[in-house]
Amino acid sequence: MGKVILEVNELTTKYITRFGEDVYAVDHVSLKVEEGKSLGIAGESGCGKSTLALSLMGYYFPPLHYTSGEIIIDGHNITGMKPDDVRKSILGTEIAYIPQAAMNALNPTQKVINIIEDVVQAHDPSKKKKDIYDLARAGFEKLGLPADVLQRYPVELSGGMKQRTVIAISVILGPKVLIADEPSSALDVTSQKMVIKMLRNLMDNGMIKAMIFITHELPLLYNVTTDIMVMYAGQIVEKGAAKETVFDPLHPYAKGLMGSIIVPEAGLRGVKLTAIPGVPPNLKKPPSGCRFAERCKYVHPECKASSVGVTTVGDNRTYRCILSEKELREVYKNAN
Amino acid sequence: MKHTLQQIFRSPNFVIGFAIFMALILFVFIYPLVVPDAPLAIIAQGTFFPPGTYVSVYDSLGSTQYTLNLQNASAARIGSKVSDTDKAAIKDYLVLVGVPEGQIDLTDTQKLLEQWKTNYDPNKNISGVTNAKRNQFIRLNTSLQNANSDQGIVLASQDPTSGALTQTGTVKLTDYVDINQIASAKVLPLGTDNFGRDVLTELVSATKVSLQIGFVAGLIATLIGLTLGLLAGYIGGMLDDIIMFITNLFTVIPSFVLLILISFSIGQDQRGAVTIAVVIGFTSWVWTARAVRSQVISLRNRDHVNLSKLSGHSIVHIILSDILPYIASYVVMAFILQISSGILAEAGLSILGLGPRTTDVPTLGLMMNWAMIYQAHILGKWWAYFPILLDIALITFSLNLMNTGLDQVFNPALRD
Amino acid sequence: MKGYRRYFLNKLAWFLVTLIVGFLLNFILPRMMPGDPVALIVSHMAQGQSNASGVQAIYQQYAELFGTNQPMYVQFFIYLKNVARGDFGFSFSQYPRSVADVLSASIWWTICLQFPAIIVGWLVGNTLGALAAYLKGGFDKVLMPLSIFISNLPAFGMAVILMVIFGVNLKWFPTSGGYGFDLIPTLSLQFMWSVIVHYQLPFWSIVLIAIGGQAIGMRSMSIYELNADYVKYSRFLGIKDNKIVMYVFRNAMLPQITGLALSVGTMVGGALVAEIVFSYPGLGSTLLNAVMGQDYPLLSAATLIVTLMVLTANFAIEIIYGFIDPRIKAAQAD
Ligand SMILES: Nc1ncnc2c1ncn2[C@@H]1O[C@H](COP(=O)(O)OP(=O)(O)OP(=O)(O)O)[C@@H](O)[C@H]1O
Ligand SMILES: [Mg+2]
Repeated sequence: MGKVILEVNELTTKYITRFGEDVYAVDHVSLKVEEGKSLGIAGESGCGKSTLALSLMGYYFPPLHYTSGEIIIDGHNITGMKPDDVRKSILGTEIAYIPQAAMNALNPTQKVINIIEDVVQAHDPSKKKKDIYDLARAGFEKLGLPADVLQRYPVELSGGMKQRTVIAISVILGPKVLIADEPSSALDVTSQKMVIKMLRNLMDNGMIKAMIFITHELPLLYNVTTDIMVMYAGQIVEKGAAKETVFDPLHPYAKGLMGSIIVPEAGLRGVKLTAIPGVPPNLKKPPSGCRFAERCKYVHPECKASSVGVTTVGDNRTYRCILSEKELREVYKNAN
Repeated sequence: MKHTLQQIFRSPNFVIGFAIFMALILFVFIYPLVVPDAPLAIIAQGTFFPPGTYVSVYDSLGSTQYTLNLQNASAARIGSKVSDTDKAAIKDYLVLVGVPEGQIDLTDTQKLLEQWKTNYDPNKNISGVTNAKRNQFIRLNTSLQNANSDQGIVLASQDPTSGALTQTGTVKLTDYVDINQIASAKVLPLGTDNFGRDVLTELVSATKVSLQIGFVAGLIATLIGLTLGLLAGYIGGMLDDIIMFITNLFTVIPSFVLLILISFSIGQDQRGAVTIAVVIGFTSWVWTARAVRSQVISLRNRDHVNLSKLSGHSIVHIILSDILPYIASYVVMAFILQISSGILAEAGLSILGLGPRTTDVPTLGLMMNWAMIYQAHILGKWWAYFPILLDIALITFSLNLMNTGLDQVFNPALRD
Repeated sequence: MKGYRRYFLNKLAWFLVTLIVGFLLNFILPRMMPGDPVALIVSHMAQGQSNASGVQAIYQQYAELFGTNQPMYVQFFIYLKNVARGDFGFSFSQYPRSVADVLSASIWWTICLQFPAIIVGWLVGNTLGALAAYLKGGFDKVLMPLSIFISNLPAFGMAVILMVIFGVNLKWFPTSGGYGFDLIPTLSLQFMWSVIVHYQLPFWSIVLIAIGGQAIGMRSMSIYELNADYVKYSRFLGIKDNKIVMYVFRNAMLPQITGLALSVGTMVGGALVAEIVFSYPGLGSTLLNAVMGQDYPLLSAATLIVTLMVLTANFAIEIIYGFIDPRIKAAQAD
């Protein structure tokens, strides 16, 4: 077992809407990412993937609020830190983020180099512009980006180039963990490939030590990540190694998502997560029992009654269901 | 649809705006049922009667009389009969005959009259007083004696043939009549305007006409804007270029200039309320066209539209069922704004003297124009202009609130 | 700089095109309408001796100057030539003054009143709107309904209200005119002071109206920008909040500048009517006089001048915008 780079224990965060209602979009989430590993997060739209990504940064601003739990980055617990200390010594330097909508992630009225200057000086105000330029240039070259991008405005960059620029900016300060929220979803196929290749390079070159990767594209998830976590209504419902989670899911929700995939050897080209009938519960008033019960094909009366704990299988696999592994396999076999 | 409506009616901005607007509309429709008078009928001889209840003096003589012993009635009566200029004249005289100024209190009419009575002597010769001034004091004295008299009034009627007067009754100081029993009384809550017309009745009618103008102008502008926007956005290419060129032209060329030119050329006699509305509509479609076009362009390549194209639906069908429903909210919002700007445009035109011809119907702009020409605002006749301004503000304010509400429902980013 | 030059030439070409179209409309629209004032002039001319000979002479003079009994296209070129020379003929209603004379007396009043007022209103309104978006809470809750209400008031309404409060009741400022009616325009101190005092009410009524509209626009722009993805991303890169706020307001300002270019026409229209309320000796009152006196030459020239003013203002704003938005130079360069 490698060194744990990111550890999250029972993290809960909520949105407070403008009507004062609480939306618990991340509910008691625990996870661990080891050095050299990448964790993928899958789940329907609205299940809280992006919120989890934001929550992991340890830096909260309205409408998102921290409730409980802890975040440990490379052995350093950041939960008790003052926000401005987090901003200065964690964000960008320890943990970095690539937003879902990277297309608009760059301030349109600044040149790329000015954005980088602002980022670097936010952590080290004494840094000279000349040095920042050298740093940026070196960073861009290392990632295979042309240096003249630095002198451009974001509007002048193509979508793929913009996305790669965002990644380059995110890692300019050498963070240990990179969280990428659907970094390729809005791109054409070629750009997608380049972005993925770039992320992989980051891992392979050791420029980042661990990565969390969120996407809707199952093949990507399977190809890029070593572990996969499935979220439903703010909770983790299944977590394990990539291969077993995709080809041998245990939780009925994960099973439903991966429904159409049968043969691992055929590859996963073009396969998308399947739709499951019904809608996820309202996170303002989540049901008390299993949150998936309403839509579960294999629902039991007890499911809705009490909260469901996490079951661990093997050394690294967990799922959230009242049925045991054996019972679940039985149920699936009968269903076929 | 139902869900959307629910959401809309949960937006406080929209609800407030809607409530104000509906209240106005209801009032406009109910008022004529209660007061069916012609809005432009001249009922008052003279200008700017202040708001109040007007009771026929003739009829009140004939109605049942009641005796009320009210303590402060005489003070009020005297106070209302002695004008401020009379009081000033009294003070002048008192000062001349040597009453210390500190003892003269202009607010206490009764005491003032007593001081007059004790001090006034028509034969006294005061130095420095001209003959004219003396005569003025004499006249003042006579009129004050009348005010102070507690004799009551004798009513007499004249025999048509002999011309002899016979006493028919007396009106004592303690006689009162019940307003409800008087055959003719007229409530003028907002008084009369410069022509002697009932302002409230006129205002209600003007509100209705102005709303109609706004509605027609808005409808025309929205239809033109929608059509051009749809054509430019959906068909694109050359057509888009041409339409956008025209739209951009009319965005920068000030529309009120066109409005002025057209209205002036049409000539006063031809300009009815509808004509004005049409002209306003034809000069204010640009914003709608722009908004619709950009919406349509973003919709044009969505999956559902492409699907519809692939299944061979006609352009009309695609526009009606795949495009319009998605831009409906924008179109409605644009329409609401057009109504309000149409009403304002009419008002501006009328103040320039280019409003609808003045003979058939009043509009808010025309009323404002009359009030301005007759200087109601400088003369302090607030009832002749302030209700109009308030009315215009309420209409546009409520429409805009509704619009803001809709905007918040359909563009969630603006919510907080 | 090459990028900017292209932008400039582009805008200049557009300015000329709009100017030409504005000019054409000014010429054609009245001639297309059922009550065609030009035809009226021709008919007045033909009526002969029965009219008072003075009036007849004015019509005659106008018809000759503008060739109103010639074919339309000939008229157009004559019109073009006359306008280029600044010759708009005689004013019907203020004969023997020429139209150019009447206009040159009023145009500066309007320019000196409206442009400063619109700029001040724009600046103050944007500041308030940005603050409302940033501070939220009480400030926003008070400012916004107020702004919405004010911006829904027509400019003449604001004019009347200010006049009644500060002119009629408090008597702080005069209620009408551009200077004391007993003064002769000179550079004397007394006259200057009178002008300044008369300037206040019209000026502030235009400013207030502009503030309302701009504050609302800037607030939504700022809120939109505050929610933009780059704000969130910048935060997670560790950039300080006050720096991000600078980005936001700068970016929100830019559309407000283009917005001003687009709305300056409407604002000028409203302000002209406000001028009338104060009998301010500017173009608003000139327009009113022209309408009242059925003075077509004066009206036509006045609307042309207003169009020219608005288009020029529009052009100027676009040019300034090109300097301020860094993207313009970059985007036009390739
Ligand atoms: N600003 C907010 N205020 C209140 N609730 C919010 C806010 N943003 C998101 N939510 C709610 O939180 C839940 C999780 O949203 P989140 O964006 O994390 O989903 P997601 O899994 O990333 O979806 P997607 O796949 O579409 O990106 C959703 O139910 C959403 O309605
Ligand atoms: Mg997301």
